[in-house]
Amino acid sequence: MSPVALSRPVAVADVAGLRVSFTRNGSQLQALRGVDLRIEPGEIVGLVGESGSGKTVLGLSMLGLLPHAAQVDGTVTVDGVELNGADDSARRRLRQRALGAVFQDPMTSLDPTMRIGRQVHEVAGSTAEVLRLLEAVGIPDGQRRLRDFPHELSGGLRQRVMLAIALSGRPKLVIADEPTTALDVTVQAQVLTLFRRMRDEFGCAILLVTHDLAVASTVADRICVLYGGLVSEVGPVRSVLDRPAHPYTAALMASRIGFQADRDWQLPIIAGEPTHPASNPTGCNFAPRCPAVAPLCWEQRPALAAVQQHGGLAACHYQAGEDVARMLSAVVAPWITTTSKIREGGATVRQLSVRFPGRRGLHRSESFDALSDVNLAVAPGEAIALVGESGSGKTTLLRVIAGLQAPTSGSVTLGGSRRRPQMVFQDAGSSFTPWLTIGQHLEERVAHLPATSRRERVLEVLKRLGLPGEIARARAHQLSGGQRQRAALARTVIEPPDLLLCDEPISALDASLAATVLNLLGRLRRELGFAMVFVTHDLAAARLVADRIVVMKGGRIVEEGASDAVIERPTDPYTHTLLASVPEVASCG
Amino acid sequence: MRVRGVAGPGAMTLPGSRKGEPSRLRDVGVLERVGLVLLALLLMASLAAPLFVLDPVISVGPAFQAPSWEHFFGTDDVGQDIFSRVMYGLRTSWLSAVAVIVSAIVIGGSIGLVAGARGGWLDALLMRLTDTFLALPGPVLAIAVAAALGASLRNTVIGIAVVWWPWYARLVRGEVRALATRPHVDAARLSGVSSSRLMLRHLLPGALPPVIVTASLDIQILVLTLAGLSFIGLGAPPPTPELGAMAARGADYLFASPWIPLAPGVAVFVLAVAANLAGDGIRDLFDRR
Repeated sequence: MSPVALSRPVAVADVAGLRVSFTRNGSQLQALRGVDLRIEPGEIVGLVGESGSGKTVLGLSMLGLLPHAAQVDGTVTVDGVELNGADDSARRRLRQRALGAVFQDPMTSLDPTMRIGRQVHEVAGSTAEVLRLLEAVGIPDGQRRLRDFPHELSGGLRQRVMLAIALSGRPKLVIADEPTTALDVTVQAQVLTLFRRMRDEFGCAILLVTHDLAVASTVADRICVLYGGLVSEVGPVRSVLDRPAHPYTAALMASRIGFQADRDWQLPIIAGEPTHPASNPTGCNFAPRCPAVAPLCWEQRPALAAVQQHGGLAACHYQAGEDVARMLSAVVAPWITTTSKIREGGATVRQLSVRFPGRRGLHRSESFDALSDVNLAVAPGEAIALVGESGSGKTTLLRVIAGLQAPTSGSVTLGGSRRRPQMVFQDAGSSFTPWLTIGQHLEERVAHLPATSRRERVLEVLKRLGLPGEIARARAHQLSGGQRQRAALARTVIEPPDLLLCDEPISALDASLAATVLNLLGRLRRELGFAMVFVTHDLAAARLVADRIVVMKGGRIVEEGASDAVIERPTDPYTHTLLASVPEVASCG
Repeated sequence: MRVRGVAGPGAMTLPGSRKGEPSRLRDVGVLERVGLVLLALLLMASLAAPLFVLDPVISVGPAFQAPSWEHFFGTDDVGQDIFSRVMYGLRTSWLSAVAVIVSAIVIGGSIGLVAGARGGWLDALLMRLTDTFLALPGPVLAIAVAAALGASLRNTVIGIAVVWWPWYARLVRGEVRALATRPHVDAARLSGVSSSRLMLRHLLPGALPPVIVTASLDIQILVLTLAGLSFIGLGAPPPTPELGAMAARGADYLFASPWIPLAPGVAVFVLAVAANLAGDGIRDLFDRR
């Protein structure tokens, strides 16, 4: 401690005017367009933004891990070292001395061939230190775990090992990129608490990169919202989320799916597409989507300015957050009540069991009962949410109903015309064959029609989902996340199904896109009258989309009932646990 | 086909990864480009050979003439023009190698595709069949085929093709199997596509890039294998212009008229090097891993 106290503590990380771009196929794609961000010692900053907003690139640049192909401008100073000017060995020394990292998927970050004891030992230096770290991150019985391989641990334990490795050098800053996205809700809650405890115990600052506002609000002290490669708003997490000054933050808050949302009304959403990385807007990059846009917004890029109401900064000429929140809630519409007609269909599942046989030989494994004696009836036109954690059997049940997985015993009977159910996959992008165009995928579903009417149907369904006709000629990787979601929905409804199966369609999406997808599903269901089975781990979303909630655990149904009843008066202890683990934006109580 | 204004930030994968992106000629190294150009020139020249060279199987002048402006590579023991024969020989070598590759891709590709896409007992049956063929020693089988059907270039090609396709069957089967677990295949099934369409449209195109890469590197090995078999007498009977056979026949005159065996030998070498470099170039173009 220097006796001369500085007026402002030295930031552990200071990003100033950071621009990062990549050249691809001759066009320049901008990931960051001039980002300023300070992280003070011991502070947890939640970095929020949709995919493509540049949040991962910002995290990588603070780790000094940007690829060499990136064109970088501006400065990133971490613990006194300017990373952009430093050479590889200086960056490496800095990472060793002051930085830790936790990524989304611990299975790919850990070496699958090395026992976890050795992996932690590599950075910790001594067995005593390894045991101390494992204990600190809440791994019970560390001594025994030392000899485990990563695949022998659960996802939560793996992420704890990653955290132990990240903390081993007593880092000043830990960058955690979507550390809980791949985890179950109950595990997520534990890991998030752990992050706070680690900060208190080790005194490290944490940059928590996430697409989930609720996750950020449960752990972060400050929140930084990125939009189109720029900081749109930054400040104390509670006050920012309570009184957002930037329209984008306001819109994210408005479209978030909480237990309070009114089921009879559509979710408020902002239309439009996120800033294209190859575009170069002169004005505010949120202007094309902003409900409160004014002429100045198109002409001049707003700088970050102090916001009185929350003590942070926002990049909006008018700090129009509250106006936008009002506007969005004023324009939401109730669902149409006149459902045209309910399609015959639905499904009856009787005493369904699925057992995955174990393997013999070198990689011996026990057989595994994914589903045991499951009975479920889906009435025509009904929407059911299957809620549960990984391993609960919810996805297996969906795949059996879809006919993609054969049951070991029991039966699935499809009602009505017994037409093949359609399915919305978790990752819309990977449900398209990479080398075929969207149009070719859509036409396959109406292959029985002559060519000209096939094309008409394609254009018709694209229009119905608010997509331009030229999407038909694009391939999935050329679309934005939102367009991919819509295209995937278009594929399922071009020929209306009797039963639509949805496998976690919103779990990886940011709030505004998730709300858009739920609105689309709600509208299509009411217009087309199909029944729906919606698999999710998110009880709030389940309540919003479904008439009935079915809670699964360990391959069995543990609770089922009307949506509101299950949420308000859960009877099974497991449902209680699930409900208690859901991170909520804390400020709105 | 790129659609303007459609690509969005969601489409931007992490920097450095090149998944799903068209490869560019820029990624191909200088040597590989030289190889591609050289191979293209050799092929064009040898395919157009009938237009500008002499008849390869008739005597065009005195025997044992040293290389000159009139006969670039000299003449051989019966007075045939060696340059003309080498040009025709290049064509024969190349086309035979391509014939083996194409048949291997067609046979092995179909078997691998069906095995990988269907799985189960059919997969097991087809793969054990493939393994059986893999166990056959290539040159020995080629000799056996030549012995049974008579020594000719066609029979040698058949002999080699019989042992060559299993590699492609395994390659395609592995790729298809990996692809078949991906969500887009499930999605296609739910779209109600027929199993043949599923295989041909949703699976096969994904297995092609590694096949093309392997094939482009195999060409060189095949050129050498075929030339080697011809050299030991399992190939085109004289006077067919075939590089291996020409080298074998000319070996007797290695010290007196070295151009007779060396010209075809060097031609095989140049073709193999060009094919190898071009193969590397094609790999750079197609391989995205």
